[in-house]
Amino acid sequence: MKTILTIIVVATVVLVAVGLLGAGQTKSGTIGFANGSALPGLTPKADTPEQAVTNLLNDVQKRRWDAAYGALSKTSGVDEETFREEWQGSNGSLRTFSNLEGSELRPVHATNDDAQIRARLRWTTPVGPIEDVRDFRLIREGGLWKVVWPKQQVANVPAQVVPVTYLRWDLVSGDGKDEWGARNIDPPHVRIVSMNAVNSAEGSAVMGEVVNEDTVPAFVNVGATLVDGGGNPIDDENSFDKIDHVLLPKQITPYRIDFPGIDLSKVKNVRMDIKASLVPASADPVIGVMNQKIDADVQGRSVLRGELLNQSGQTVNIPHVIASFYDNNGKVIWVSDGYVDRALLPETSEPFSVDIPRSLAGKVQSFHVVVNQYSLGKS
Amino acid sequence: MSTAESYSRPIPLFAIVLVALAVHGPLLFMQLPAGSFDTNFHIFFASHYASHWFDPWNVKWFAGFSQTTYPPLTHQWIALLSNVVGLKMGYMLVQLIAVMLLPVGVFRFAKIWVNERAASYAALASVFLGALAFLVYQAGQLATVTSTALYLNALPYLYEWITTASGRSFLKGVAVSWTAAAAHHVTLIFGVLFFALPVLWVAILDAREPVVEADAHDPDVRVRDEGERVPGAVRGVLLRTGAFALIVGLGIGLVLAPYWLSILRHPVRQMPIPHDSRSNFLLNSTTAINYFVIPYGALLLGIPFILVRGARARRLRPLLFGFWLAFIFGLGGTTPLPRWLLGRAFEILTFERFTFWATLLAMPLLGAVAVSLLDRFASKAAAAMALAAVATVGAALWWLNANPYRPTAIVDVNPVIAFLNRDGHDSYRYITLGLGSELAQVSTYTNATSVDGDYNSARLLPEMTNYGSAQLTNAKFYGSAGMASLRAMLEHASRYGLKFVFVHDSYYEPLLTFAGWRKIETFDNGEITAWSKDDVPPAHTISSDAMPAPWEGVLWGTLPMGVSFLAIFLELWLPERRRVVAPVGVPVHVRQPYVA
Repeated sequence: MKTILTIIVVATVVLVAVGLLGAGQTKSGTIGFANGSALPGLTPKADTPEQAVTNLLNDVQKRRWDAAYGALSKTSGVDEETFREEWQGSNGSLRTFSNLEGSELRPVHATNDDAQIRARLRWTTPVGPIEDVRDFRLIREGGLWKVVWPKQQVANVPAQVVPVTYLRWDLVSGDGKDEWGARNIDPPHVRIVSMNAVNSAEGSAVMGEVVNEDTVPAFVNVGATLVDGGGNPIDDENSFDKIDHVLLPKQITPYRIDFPGIDLSKVKNVRMDIKASLVPASADPVIGVMNQKIDADVQGRSVLRGELLNQSGQTVNIPHVIASFYDNNGKVIWVSDGYVDRALLPETSEPFSVDIPRSLAGKVQSFHVVVNQYSLGKS
Repeated sequence: MSTAESYSRPIPLFAIVLVALAVHGPLLFMQLPAGSFDTNFHIFFASHYASHWFDPWNVKWFAGFSQTTYPPLTHQWIALLSNVVGLKMGYMLVQLIAVMLLPVGVFRFAKIWVNERAASYAALASVFLGALAFLVYQAGQLATVTSTALYLNALPYLYEWITTASGRSFLKGVAVSWTAAAAHHVTLIFGVLFFALPVLWVAILDAREPVVEADAHDPDVRVRDEGERVPGAVRGVLLRTGAFALIVGLGIGLVLAPYWLSILRHPVRQMPIPHDSRSNFLLNSTTAINYFVIPYGALLLGIPFILVRGARARRLRPLLFGFWLAFIFGLGGTTPLPRWLLGRAFEILTFERFTFWATLLAMPLLGAVAVSLLDRFASKAAAAMALAAVATVGAALWWLNANPYRPTAIVDVNPVIAFLNRDGHDSYRYITLGLGSELAQVSTYTNATSVDGDYNSARLLPEMTNYGSAQLTNAKFYGSAGMASLRAMLEHASRYGLKFVFVHDSYYEPLLTFAGWRKIETFDNGEITAWSKDDVPPAHTISSDAMPAPWEGVLWGTLPMGVSFLAIFLELWLPERRRVVAPVGVPVHVRQPYVA
């Protein structure tokens, strides 16, 4: 009997131990439920800078804010609420919808008492995955490494009255229904003003610009069908979120249609399809694009940087930047987009950056940026 | 009868079944499982059978899928009962029957290992299992519970057949096994490993040594009589096992033929979908509580005694081994053993069912432990065990509302159903976002079709199989993979005629807005909003090679139900012969022996 019991107990303990050693290989469960904590003693001590940042990010991922705040150095000078708000976001920004999904750490420098770790943070958001690079400064306190969290400067906008003078178009339909699309009215006149097809890292892409030539707002959607030498369709896709769907009169928007896994060498022809319908729209909120320049980010990638300035009195929860890049002939050679994860408060600005493919960065001569936006309760 | 005497007798099986009815009947008639994860899924499948009994092709999910990808028996029984009591109550009735069959199965299975008294305690304990409450009220795993209950009832027939060559046991064992498979195939496949192999093992032990000397002094272990010789000894056992396995295997092959064909046509190649039952419980307290503490409950306190009891008697060791293996499997990713043994299947299966099986395998051992405790402490032990049992099932019921996995609060989806069923809206497809298992309820009662569905195994659309996430309605819970899958589907809205999106979680609104969708209606005081896209054409039929042939529909509509009727008929026609227990006589001195 003792032999059997010993075998069972030892086998169980060994299997559990092996399971703990290989825990990293086990896929975690669903993101939305990542809120439990390890049994006491099973969380590794922060005896290296990397481990300290790993523990911090693990606590942030599972929203254990007390534990995450406890990983900060006493010299940080940030209160827990502010620290939490920096991770969780505020004012209905994209960050408030986001979950930290993973990270990659790289030491930048380290001494006995001081270190800097660069983390690539992968966020899952409603509009797709977003990457964020953040540098963590760490110091050793009592044998353990602690993260020094700098206090963020928050823009302080004076109280003021912002006059509203924007244009707005409403639609009135006979029976009070069908506000959207107004089916019994001729669609607005919109036109594709440029189109270019290129191979991209994921396959190929068709891009260009669309203009609303009408005097009323238009909802536009651009589709494309790739056709092979035999006249057979290979794939059809549409611009999805890489376009500003609502165009005010005379407004131009870039568009890009991605065809994952399709090489352009197999494509003989591209059939474009633009659909437009009349919609209610307003010119508010007005968002200015400031200080644009092509630069390199901390990872050495080419990006277009700038600042968005909210010139209206309403909060823009999620700004979306779409940029078209032109070569020296004025041809659109790429369209790129990016979401800003902080809300644009009235009369304040936020930085943005959108990627430019390495192969095209040298050919870019000029660019054009449009800003799309999502505001809570205004869909 | 004194208290001590009453504890020394087995509890009548009828009384145990009544206890099961008393405990679970009210909970089921209050429709407590209605909020569980899978209940609406089962009802949705049943609703299809109710209106298309012989046509398993269901166009309401995934732009068309075959219901031959899931064994139909429980759904067909619900469909039958729905004609009288409606779908929801039909579900509750089938679940109640399964719950009442379970202690019967445990009692009969336990009698293979322990005496009748211990077996009756095992059966009574099985009514209060946390794992049972977890599967019935939280997970809604109707098919697993039903199939397990049936399988436990089939195993004693297997044991009788291979140890006594009883023809009636063979017939009934085969029929009940086919019925169990028609209820849930996975249970039967793994049941062979966890349940049938220990039975075979003990049958071989019995064939080799009818009275295991080492166990002869153990009053709780079933000891065969000297006269109960196993025909053909070990060779006979193996031959009869082979015959049983062959007939059961052939029958399952035929009864579930459309299922096997669908698997052959479309093997599971989709990206693995994360599930928390596969994680390491030591690294996540919530997962540990949900998949370990709640299902085992007070049984955790008994595990050391169960181990000792199982290891002490040689005849109980096969059962102990089965329990230990199921226990380790139930730990999911806490140990590497399931991953090693299952390979890719590890990423497909969920592991809460193994915990359920582990608790059932522990029941005969627990029954023996209970006998010892009652013999020693009488009323005190009875009170403590009763308290532990009630606390276990009570904790599982409390956890229904306390756990972070609970489905979102039930919302009124009737306005959504009404919207889809009017003004020709059902000529387009729709999805829901944030409605969780309520999607199946919408699908059950609307004429419109969806590209989403609350069932992972039948998905063939690349927008769903390529990303490693489950339902689109729960996309955000699967992180980037889930949102990429949703994005891919929305990108192809025109392809599928996907015009309407019903949102019960504002998380999804930014994506819809940036992709050009517009809010058109609000239901239930803003709890649900309807979004539409203007340039989407009406839905058209998506051709699929997964559509079953008409003969498959006929087979699917007759054989599974047929074998269940056969099993019922055989149970009634060939009732179990009651073993006549020889009265324990007082040894007397015979003065004049009779001489013939």
